Amino acid sequence: MFELPLANLLTEPVGVAHYVTVGAIMFVCGVLCMATKRNALGILMGIELVLNGANLNFIAFGSPYLRSDANSLGLDGQLIALFVIVLAAAEAAVALAIALNFYNNYGTIDVDRADQLQG
Amino acid sequence: MDPAHYLPLLLGAAWLVPLVSFVIIWVGYSLPQMAGKRASYRTSKLGAYVATGSIVLSVVLSFFAMFGVWLPSNPLVDATHHGEVLEEQHAEDGHAAAQASSPFKMVAAESESHAAGEHANNPPPKYYSGEWYNLCTFGKLKLSIGYYIDALTVGMFCMVSLIASCVHFYAMGYMHDELHDFTDPEVTLSNGEQLKRPGRYHRFFQYLSLFSFSMLGVVIAGNMAMVFVFWELVGICSYFLIGFYIERHSASTAANKAFIVNRVGDFGMLIGMMALWSSLGTFTFGDATDEHGNEVKGVFSQLRTEQNDYQLAPADSMVEEQTRIAPHSVGESASADGPAEYNTAGQWLLLIAGVGIFCGCVGKSAQFPLHVWLPDAMEGPTPVSALVHSATMVAAGVYLVGRFYPVFSPEVLLVIAYIGCITLFIAATIAITAVDIKRVLAYSTVSQLGYMMLALGLGGWVAGMFHLITHAFFKSLLFLCSGSVIHAVHSNDMTDMGGLRKKMPITAYTMLAGCLAIIGAGIPLSTIGFSGYYSKDAIIEQAFSFGSANPKHIILQWAPVVGAAITAFYMFRLWYMTFAGKPRDQHRYDHAHESPRVMTGPLVLLAVFAIGVGWTLPGTNLNVTNLLEQARPVGTLETTHGTLLPDLVVPNEHESHLDKFRVPAGIAAFGTAASGLLLATIIYLWNLLNPDELKQSFRPLHNWLWNKWWFDELYDYVFVKPTLVLSGWMAKCDLKFIDSILHGAAALCRGGSQVVDKLFDQTMVDGTVNTFARGTWDFGLWLRKIQTGRLRQYVLFIVVGTVLLFVAITFVQGYLTAS
Amino acid sequence: MTLSEPVVYLSLLVFLPALAALVLALLPKVTDDALKLITLAVTIMVFLLSLGLMRQGVGIDFQAGVAEMQNAFSVDWIPSFGIQYFMAIDGISFPLVVLTAFLCVPAMAASWPINKHVKAYCILFLLLETGMLGVFLALDFFLFYVFWEVMLLPMYFLIGVWGGPRREYAAIKFFLYTLVGSVLMLIAILMLYFNSDLRALDNDQLVAAHVVESVEAARDWRSSVPDLSAEPDRMQNTFNILALQQMGQDPDLDLFDDEALFGKSIQWWAFLLLFVGFVIKVPSVPFHTWLPDAHVEAPTPISMILAGILLKMGGYGIIRICYPICPGAGYDLAYFVCFVGVSSMVYGAFAALAQKDFKRMVAYSSVSHMGYVVLGFGVWSAVAGTSYNADYWKMGANGAMFQMIAHGISSAGMFFMVGVIYDRVHHRDLDKFGGLFAKMPVYSGLAIGIFFAGLGLPGLCGFIGEVLVVLSVWKYSVVLAVISAAVVILTAGYILWTIQRVYLGAEYKGPHGDALTPISMRELAIAVPLLVLAVVFGVYPNCVLRYMQPSVDRQVEQLAELTPLFEQRESDANPLGDDEQMAAR
Repeated sequence: MFELPLANLLTEPVGVAHYVTVGAIMFVCGVLCMATKRNALGILMGIELVLNGANLNFIAFGSPYLRSDANSLGLDGQLIALFVIVLAAAEAAVALAIALNFYNNYGTIDVDRADQLQG
Repeated sequence: MDPAHYLPLLLGAAWLVPLVSFVIIWVGYSLPQMAGKRASYRTSKLGAYVATGSIVLSVVLSFFAMFGVWLPSNPLVDATHHGEVLEEQHAEDGHAAAQASSPFKMVAAESESHAAGEHANNPPPKYYSGEWYNLCTFGKLKLSIGYYIDALTVGMFCMVSLIASCVHFYAMGYMHDELHDFTDPEVTLSNGEQLKRPGRYHRFFQYLSLFSFSMLGVVIAGNMAMVFVFWELVGICSYFLIGFYIERHSASTAANKAFIVNRVGDFGMLIGMMALWSSLGTFTFGDATDEHGNEVKGVFSQLRTEQNDYQLAPADSMVEEQTRIAPHSVGESASADGPAEYNTAGQWLLLIAGVGIFCGCVGKSAQFPLHVWLPDAMEGPTPVSALVHSATMVAAGVYLVGRFYPVFSPEVLLVIAYIGCITLFIAATIAITAVDIKRVLAYSTVSQLGYMMLALGLGGWVAGMFHLITHAFFKSLLFLCSGSVIHAVHSNDMTDMGGLRKKMPITAYTMLAGCLAIIGAGIPLSTIGFSGYYSKDAIIEQAFSFGSANPKHIILQWAPVVGAAITAFYMFRLWYMTFAGKPRDQHRYDHAHESPRVMTGPLVLLAVFAIGVGWTLPGTNLNVTNLLEQARPVGTLETTHGTLLPDLVVPNEHESHLDKFRVPAGIAAFGTAASGLLLATIIYLWNLLNPDELKQSFRPLHNWLWNKWWFDELYDYVFVKPTLVLSGWMAKCDLKFIDSILHGAAALCRGGSQVVDKLFDQTMVDGTVNTFARGTWDFGLWLRKIQTGRLRQYVLFIVVGTVLLFVAITFVQGYLTAS
Repeated sequence: MTLSEPVVYLSLLVFLPALAALVLALLPKVTDDALKLITLAVTIMVFLLSLGLMRQGVGIDFQAGVAEMQNAFSVDWIPSFGIQYFMAIDGISFPLVVLTAFLCVPAMAASWPINKHVKAYCILFLLLETGMLGVFLALDFFLFYVFWEVMLLPMYFLIGVWGGPRREYAAIKFFLYTLVGSVLMLIAILMLYFNSDLRALDNDQLVAAHVVESVEAARDWRSSVPDLSAEPDRMQNTFNILALQQMGQDPDLDLFDDEALFGKSIQWWAFLLLFVGFVIKVPSVPFHTWLPDAHVEAPTPISMILAGILLKMGGYGIIRICYPICPGAGYDLAYFVCFVGVSSMVYGAFAALAQKDFKRMVAYSSVSHMGYVVLGFGVWSAVAGTSYNADYWKMGANGAMFQMIAHGISSAGMFFMVGVIYDRVHHRDLDKFGGLFAKMPVYSGLAIGIFFAGLGLPGLCGFIGEVLVVLSVWKYSVVLAVISAAVVILTAGYILWTIQRVYLGAEYKGPHGDALTPISMRELAIAVPLLVLAVVFGVYPNCVLRYMQPSVDRQVEQLAELTPLFEQRESDANPLGDDEQMAAR
């Protein structure tokens, strides 16, 4: 019988699956944001969403509370999440600098105007 | 004195002295010229003195060899008492020779004495032969410089050196124009002036010396190779002397003609030599001993062996050689086992050898059909004509026939006789109409050489050689006289002369003596006459003797008789036109004068010889005939029969002196000569018949003779032009044919490689590579379309890609786990 | 390492010019005259070295009466293929080596008028000399081939750079022609190489071929290689020319007798290929058309070398390689060889008669004269039916060898004589000369002397060779003898006609008449020795023959001994009998 895989989320106690679901939703939102926004800052925000969606997964999989079996990532998950945060910060700094430069050159931050990379 | 020792020494010295003179003049004159000194020595007569001195030395040596060595050791025997006397004398010679020894490894080959009557044929004459210098040796084959000295050699040495020295003296006067700058009247330059050039006095004498050396070399030669060497050398001297006036085109052309026509003869001679060389393996005339003391047989004794009674028979090696070349030519005779005279084994080879050698003589002695060069050779200075082209070099052919006589089979002799007969007639007829005084004499020379050849061919060896000697004297005299005349009137043309007798008596009367000698003037049936009387009568006697033995060849009997009439006619025509009557060109006549003593001296001396060379020295039996009889070639004193032509008979020469031949021959000779003389006198002295009218009435005949039977034109059309055309074709063939093939091949290669280039390289190899490149390029172009540069799109791609990847992995994993 | 060792002496002789070329190449700026002087000095030194062979006690000696190879040495070069640096000298090569070394001196002296790229010219000239000397001395087939090619390239450039207006055409023609010959030769070399087997020779033959030093060494060597009977396929191939000769001449061996193509044996094909290769060099009809063009375009000294030496290599190859290695084929093809020789003689003479260009005329005369060489070598006159006699063949072969030397002198002289007037008036049209005798008497005298040497006048060098060859031919073929004798007429024709048109006559008919100045001392110093040699060789032929004759005679005798065998074989193969063959001949 056809069974919606997420159907019983609501009935179960909060576990990894919920975190992962939220992470997935954040990830999809971030992707959609990146794909649809013409504003460079919007895109940056989408990226943050994607990254944080991923972070949520790491944390979920790394938490011994959420996953009581021996398969959890342990501290590794938290550590990677920290790395991602640092990287996101750096990326945001660089991306903002690019955006600023772009704005200086074109007077806009519409990424559709930035098609020099066209082959 | 030991002749075996002294004769080679004396004659060798006489032979080499002119060479020394040649070298001295060459060094003395050419080296300063090389060093850049050009004018100082031209006026010097020193060269002439050296050359003349050397040839006089040769005369002295030759005459000493003759009278001091040869005659004392080989006393003469009267030719009329042949028979037993001869046999005995030869027997004595044999003993004398057997004791002879020499540092030159000399061999005086002589048969053992034979009992008289056992052999009818005569043994080899007394001779001394040996070798001086070896050119090269290949196993048993040997080419060397040697000597063969018999009475004929000594006699020829005396004759050649004597005439040569007369000519040298004469030339010292004749060529004096060459002492200073010389203006050549016959050469006009393109700017209309006459050519003026430095004189070449010394060069003339240099050539004369070289010629004397070469000519004496031919005479002394001990083998055929040496004959050939000096044969060519006299040829080249003749070339230089004919072309002495190198600026005249006619002279250089005549020189070329002479040399090339002679080469045609030499071509035949080479063939004859090859035939002999390949079959006998030697060129040496006389026998010799090699270093091991073995006897090496010469050509003569191989062909006329003692066992065979000195009759001519091909040596075994010759038969072998002919069998090798043409196996069928001896097939039937070998099996037939017939009598010896019908055995043709080796005879054809002998014929080739004989005719081949004779070809060389035909060229050198200007016999028909190679006689055309001699008249043109008159372009040379007159002393040259006298020495080279009448007395010595052209007689070398006759001499060689005489020397090679033992090798000639009766068939070859017949060829020689016919060639001589044709020559004497043709040349004599042409001489009738010629007006150039030297050309008349040239044709007369050709005609007289024909007489000699005829005599030799008929078996009259002594007659022929005797005529050679007498002719040398009177013909050189005639030429020198004509030179004296030309010197005086500066023209060769007899129509410019006339009446010169009063102006130049010495020349006129010496020339008269020469004319009488050549027509053979003498009291018939007696022994008193000019030199030509003896020799020419001997020839005609032999002709009668031959004619009676060979009725088929009766023409050979009458041709010399008719020739005698023509000779008398044209000679006296010449003399009358030149010396008698009234001057035709008064201007030339006024300037004419007798020549200086240095020129008339030799004339007088030669005239004496021309009159008396046939006489017997009073109180002795010394005469030319007896001397020649000593040199009679081995085995020629018997009537011989042909092998290939069995009915051919060559009669014994001594039979011709029998009265049955002597009387009719003497009368016929006298009668014809007298009639010719009479006719000339009627026309040209008494003017009873006008020559111009005669010319008109016999116009076609006159034209025919005036154009020399059209020989030059004929040869031009038949030989010269086709040769040039052929050579042109061959040269064109190179350019047009062979090179075309090459160029065609090259073009083909280039074309082929272009095709290969197009088809294979450009289409296939390059095509494949280019297709790949283009495909990659096009693919890249296509890919480029998705490189929009839009970030949002890229993100979409990433997402889509990721999803697709996911799906794919999921499916693949599912597939894998399922399987 | 002293000069008395053959390896040092002969190597020095060959490579001294090459070394000098190297030095010249490295020299900094030197004037042209100094370059020429240095080159001339080197050629003179090489000539002295070659003469030193004759002189006893200086360096190595060449013994005049010895027929065998002398002063042989061999050093392994590429051992895996049996290639050796192998040289020796005998009576056949010695006169040619001396001739080469000699002719380079006058040729270099004749190079003074050359002013273009003098350094390159001198270097190429010296390399050419090395190549030529090497060809005559090398006895290893591979080495021979290398030298043969080494000589080719400098010649190409010397014609192609310093030549006349059509020099490129002539140079390429020369190069391609010769290359075709080389390729044919290479094929033949490889054919022989791969069919040779050193083991088939017995110990004495190995020693005679200088493969090993002594009979003991031969035994050692034999034990070091696979046994012939046990392993016949592991052949010990060789490039040693002497060993190949031994294999070709040993009647018991049939290494080269296998069928190769169209029913003909290996040696038949090898002979043919080698012969054509050499005959291109000689050159004989119909492979001769490179010669006139090369001569016409080449500068005078190069013409002298070309006619004087290069053509001799073909003749040398025929007598050194073709006949001794492939005697059976030589016997079968004797008529072909003779025919090629005679047709060159006739054709060259006819073509010379038609030429308008002086140099072309002389070039064709070379074709004609070199025909005598081929003819002389080809006369297998030992074939004399019942009793064969090698004397006539000896005479022919010696005559041909002599003719090579004589032609080296006379043709170099003739080309030089043409060069002298070309330098002055810059044209060679025979119809536009005349009267040179009056303007340049000494030169004309010398030139006429040299031309008469070419004509074959007795007393000059051309006569001896021609007469020896022509006289020997009869014994082989009467028809060819008659034709070859007839050439004397044509020779006289074209030489005399040329002399008449150029030297005789009243006045000069061409342009630049004022430039006809008398011969200079330098030209005199070149021409006089040539004429003197022409006279000396003409009256004293033994001065050459005494060196060459023992070797040539020995070779002819060796081949003549084989003749009965070949006759036997021929009559076996052709049972109709001798009559038909005789008649056919």
